[in-house]
Amino acid sequence: MTALQGWEASERVLESGGFESRQRVLLSRLAVEMSEAGARWLGVAYWQAVGDFTRGGVRATWRADGGRLRLLGGATLLGFGPPELRYGDGIVSCRYSIEGGLLALRAGGSVTLAQRSEGEEHELSVTVEEYLPSLAARVGAPWWTGALYAKGQSPFHAAVSRRYFELLARGSA
Amino acid sequence: MRVTVFGASGVIGQALLPLLAGEHEVVAVSRGPHDTGDGIRWVEADVASGEGVADALEQADVAYYLVHSLGARDFERQDREAARNVSREAALAGVEQIVYLGGLGGGDEHASPHLRSRRETGERLASDGVPVTILRAAMVVGKGSAAFETILGLVKRLPVMITPSWVSTPTQPIALEDIARYLAGVGGNDAAIGEVFDAGGPEVMTYRQMIERIAALLGKRPRIVEVPVLTPALSALWLELVTPVSASVARPLVEGLRNPTVAREERLQRLLPFRLTPFDDAARRALGGC
Repeated sequence: MTALQGWEASERVLESGGFESRQRVLLSRLAVEMSEAGARWLGVAYWQAVGDFTRGGVRATWRADGGRLRLLGGATLLGFGPPELRYGDGIVSCRYSIEGGLLALRAGGSVTLAQRSEGEEHELSVTVEEYLPSLAARVGAPWWTGALYAKGQSPFHAAVSRRYFELLARGSA
Repeated sequence: MRVTVFGASGVIGQALLPLLAGEHEVVAVSRGPHDTGDGIRWVEADVASGEGVADALEQADVAYYLVHSLGARDFERQDREAARNVSREAALAGVEQIVYLGGLGGGDEHASPHLRSRRETGERLASDGVPVTILRAAMVVGKGSAAFETILGLVKRLPVMITPSWVSTPTQPIALEDIARYLAGVGGNDAAIGEVFDAGGPEVMTYRQMIERIAALLGKRPRIVEVPVLTPALSALWLELVTPVSASVARPLVEGLRNPTVAREERLQRLLPFRLTPFDDAARRALGGC
């Protein structure tokens, strides 16, 4: 197990009703280079972390127009647009828009995997923005849906992020 | 510069030799006899036993190592021993650089035996102190490439394919001509000595997309059905049944499908800039010889 420095995790509900969560760690060396390949690798490694963490139970499948996170090769948990790669000015990132799936109330929001460099310090982060989880508590929905999100999906996501950071930190992703 | 190429009779070796022959004194090594000519001197040696390796490396400045034992029952052990033999003899001969074509995706703890073996071979080659330049590539798109021929065999024979979910793993295939050009470019290149480079092609795609694109070039539209459970052993037996590739070769390749084989850096493109061949062009060229 790779020791991660500067682990921080936060989550909040936005005024729009969407959820925002962020996990990050700090590295003393670059995990990926500042290039298109580096940005792409941030995304590839994330989906690899999802598969590793679930022992292949949840895997991402890709086509030209985007990807799907599937449970046991069947049900689509989340659908994503194609990767949007960015690099330069100390930031390299890979962003996926969320386009639906069983775990999304409706299309909207995004997952951004990023490395920000400032001097000798490099921050790796996973940021989910404006995501509307179908399991989150909301008016009119059964009480247990909120519990499923808070006790299940949210910690699962944080654990996957931790696994992802470990893979990148030791350069074996 | 004097260059020795181990595995010269293979698909990659055959593409590399003409590029080297124009500029260097080339010794091509294989296990069987070949006619010497075109500026290339062929010698016989067996890297597995070590027989003839020292002679092949005599006065060599650079050694290319393009050998693998894929298809052998214990290919991991054979690859380790062969690399060890070459490493030792290269050090004794005063070789200044070994250039090795490894595989992308072998750094993961869950890497398949094939990908893991490719990585270990690189480490073994460096074990006696000769600086090793490693190019890590995914599938090589060219006629005779085992991985490409496997996909081609499936596309040609099957209107409906039952595939494991790993068929959706991303990969970054590279044209045979491009990887040969990269290999030629790093040999004797001071900036490349002791370095490891990712050698990706210009496009990232899934194996499923690759199958669909090859099929389109052949005027076919196979139906692909992904199933969550299909073991590598079953897949390999199925491949042996429907493609010209034997199960012993197919199985390590299939096991490797679960690992993303995508470049994570672009240093090689910056060191040796040229326009990489688009996948369809490379595949079309490979199909042209069929």
